[in-house]
Amino acid sequence: MDLQLKGRLVSVCGTEEATLAACRRVLEAEGAVIAEAPPGGTYPEADVVIAVGTSRPGSDVLAVIDPADLYSAWDDVTNAVDAYRAALPRMLAQQWGRFVWVGSSQAKSVDAEADELAAVASLGMLGLHKVVTGEVGPRGITANAVLRGGAATDEDVADAVTFLCSAGAAYLSGITITVDGGTGSAIF
Amino acid sequence: MDYGISGRVAIVSGGSRGIGRAIATTFAREGAKVVIASRTQSNLEETLAELEEIAPGRVHAIAASMTDPASVDRVVAEARERFGPISIAISNVIGHVIDAAKEGSGPGAGTFEGMQTEAYREEFTQLLVSSWALARACVPDMQQQGWGRICNIGSGVAREPSTHLPHLLPNVVRPPVAGMHRLLAARLAPDGITVNNILTGSILTERNRSYWEWLARERNTSVAIETQDMTQRIPVGRFGEPEEMAAVVAFLCSDRAGMVTGQSIPVGGGGSAHL
Repeated sequence: MDLQLKGRLVSVCGTEEATLAACRRVLEAEGAVIAEAPPGGTYPEADVVIAVGTSRPGSDVLAVIDPADLYSAWDDVTNAVDAYRAALPRMLAQQWGRFVWVGSSQAKSVDAEADELAAVASLGMLGLHKVVTGEVGPRGITANAVLRGGAATDEDVADAVTFLCSAGAAYLSGITITVDGGTGSAIF
Repeated sequence: MDYGISGRVAIVSGGSRGIGRAIATTFAREGAKVVIASRTQSNLEETLAELEEIAPGRVHAIAASMTDPASVDRVVAEARERFGPISIAISNVIGHVIDAAKEGSGPGAGTFEGMQTEAYREEFTQLLVSSWALARACVPDMQQQGWGRICNIGSGVAREPSTHLPHLLPNVVRPPVAGMHRLLAARLAPDGITVNNILTGSILTERNRSYWEWLARERNTSVAIETQDMTQRIPVGRFGEPEEMAAVVAFLCSDRAGMVTGQSIPVGGGGSAHL
């Protein structure tokens, strides 16, 4: 299927190198062009912004002693917001844009593999995506999330991310795709 | 019904006004020892005087910021010193008000396009760090007693972000707060501690009332006219009273509700859409 991603400029951000690399690989195979943002900077020319949350396996909110750990998780959200907002003017001008967040499936189901700080950050992004959808959805911009759980590989995640960037996903916004091999037990 | 909380020590943050005051009042009537904490001394004194009439010698007020963890620790220590180990903790902090000087601006007003990330961080401090700090400070007492109740006064936007109002910050930070309480519930259940979150809907608090009054003045209409649309969207056909919120919270914090934990419960007259 033609995902109609040829020539689209993609900016990926986050610290999860393996996941970011898989996203680059799958998107490049579809003809997208990976834009390199300066270190710590944002890329305002992007058609697609993919933000990958940091995973902190086993993180436990109750065991946090220093609030700095909470803020460190929240930095993932504000970094994603910076990257999204940098690209927004161009997306608005061209009436097309894609925002995708990759986070933890524990944001939806507490029995998922524990990474509580990632779940907290992801829930912030899901709320943000609803706002983005309400605000700029009518102008061809979507905001969705891939929630990772179980033993999902980087490729599993990248495939779902790439689908959400595609033309066929134009009517999906403010939603999540849980990529967890069916391990989460919650229906709603 | 005996809620079984007579003699228990309860802390209510934001306890001097609105929903917090209604909760503190209900706890006082149920025989609990109640500590209210909030920033504004004058509100606290007025509420304390009211509570003293209901529960002489069983109420205490502390003027303090409930968003700074060190300050929360001091409040909890003072409450413990006064009345003994804490059994019930209600976190009830309002969000970051961007432009406090501007009447009617409300908490978290702003759009995705315009909001700077510094404000996201401030909202995170107000809503998430505050409730985390209160839980963290009270949990050791609860664990020691093998009994505890934590309840966060959240917002319906945690599950259904309001996209028709330009109030970005609560839409972004309320869901993580609800999620954090769900996660705390899982960790604390074996200790006899329940953790729940209220999805506050259309409750007519003083703050809400003054917002509608401000809007009516701005538009040269009346509160009844301004609230008409909103009221029509509430299935029960009216706004709720803070006391109705307090009734739910009191039940959740009672001895009867030991099996209810990890829940986000809408109190909004049927105004939520999710299944």
